Amino acid sequence: MAIRLSRRKIASYYADELIAGRDIVRSLAAYLVDSRRLREIELIVRDIESALADRGVVVADVTTSRSLTDQAKTAIQTYIKATTGAKSIELRQLIDDDLIGGVKVAVPGRELDATIRHRLNLLKATKV
Amino acid sequence: MDYSTSFNTFANAAADPEKTGILASLGIDWMLLAFQTIAFLILVVLLGKFVYPVFVRIIDERQEKIDAATNAAEQAEQTAAAAQEDVAKLLKEARKEASAIVATAKDEANAAIEASEKKAKSRAEKIVADAHDQIEKDVIAARKTLHNDTIDLVAMATEKIIGKTMTGAIDDKVIAAAVKEAK
Repeated sequence: MAIRLSRRKIASYYADELIAGRDIVRSLAAYLVDSRRLREIELIVRDIESALADRGVVVADVTTSRSLTDQAKTAIQTYIKATTGAKSIELRQLIDDDLIGGVKVAVPGRELDATIRHRLNLLKATKV
Repeated sequence: MDYSTSFNTFANAAADPEKTGILASLGIDWMLLAFQTIAFLILVVLLGKFVYPVFVRIIDERQEKIDAATNAAEQAEQTAAAAQEDVAKLLKEARKEASAIVATAKDEANAAIEASEKKAKSRAEKIVADAHDQIEKDVIAARKTLHNDTIDLVAMATEKIIGKTMTGAIDDKVIAAAVKEAK
């Protein structure tokens, strides 16, 4: 049975592995199964993303109502660099028709919701 | 003795004055006179001994009764007079007390009326104030409802209009503006 490590140590290790260009999927899966910590997989992935962000590699979840154009991608990457100081940015694009328009950008420790749906929700939230 | 005998005796005496004397001439039989005198005295004694005391006693008792009745009547009269005075005094006091009671009752009635008017006025003011408050609350509630309905309407209309008019180019502009604003 594997030694039980803290999520922080696991995330730091696998972040370094990713930056070094190695595939971590099998190794991480094996470790989690062996240590019976499969239920923590989402938390560990998030911690790895945070560790990557600390190393200048930001993985951003970008949610829009339609596929991003190059122009939009560039604008979003510029924004992420400006706000996080990242050297490298990886966009993970998600499509959600319900957003109507705009963009939602989620990076470790920060989130920008500039969607039409969010603004409509803010408007509805002003109801008394 | 009947009148004919007496008249005969008197007539005989008058015919012979010297033989019978003056008494005889007057028709008086001295023996009869003495006898009648003694009988009268005996009668007087008997009356004085047995009859008069009874009459006197009866009269005295009657007199005492009359006196007692008179005294009782006088006393009753005095009592009646005193009672009348008492009645008059009581009536006077009763009238005075009645006047006081009436005055007190009037004061209390006035006070009660005044208190009722004050209470009614206060209640009316409260009802008016409550009505104002209720109206104000209703107005506020109506404004809230209008506000919320307007927001819902605007949100729904905006969603439909933007959903229909949104294109990729417009979306790019929206995204660019959003990230620029967020920097």
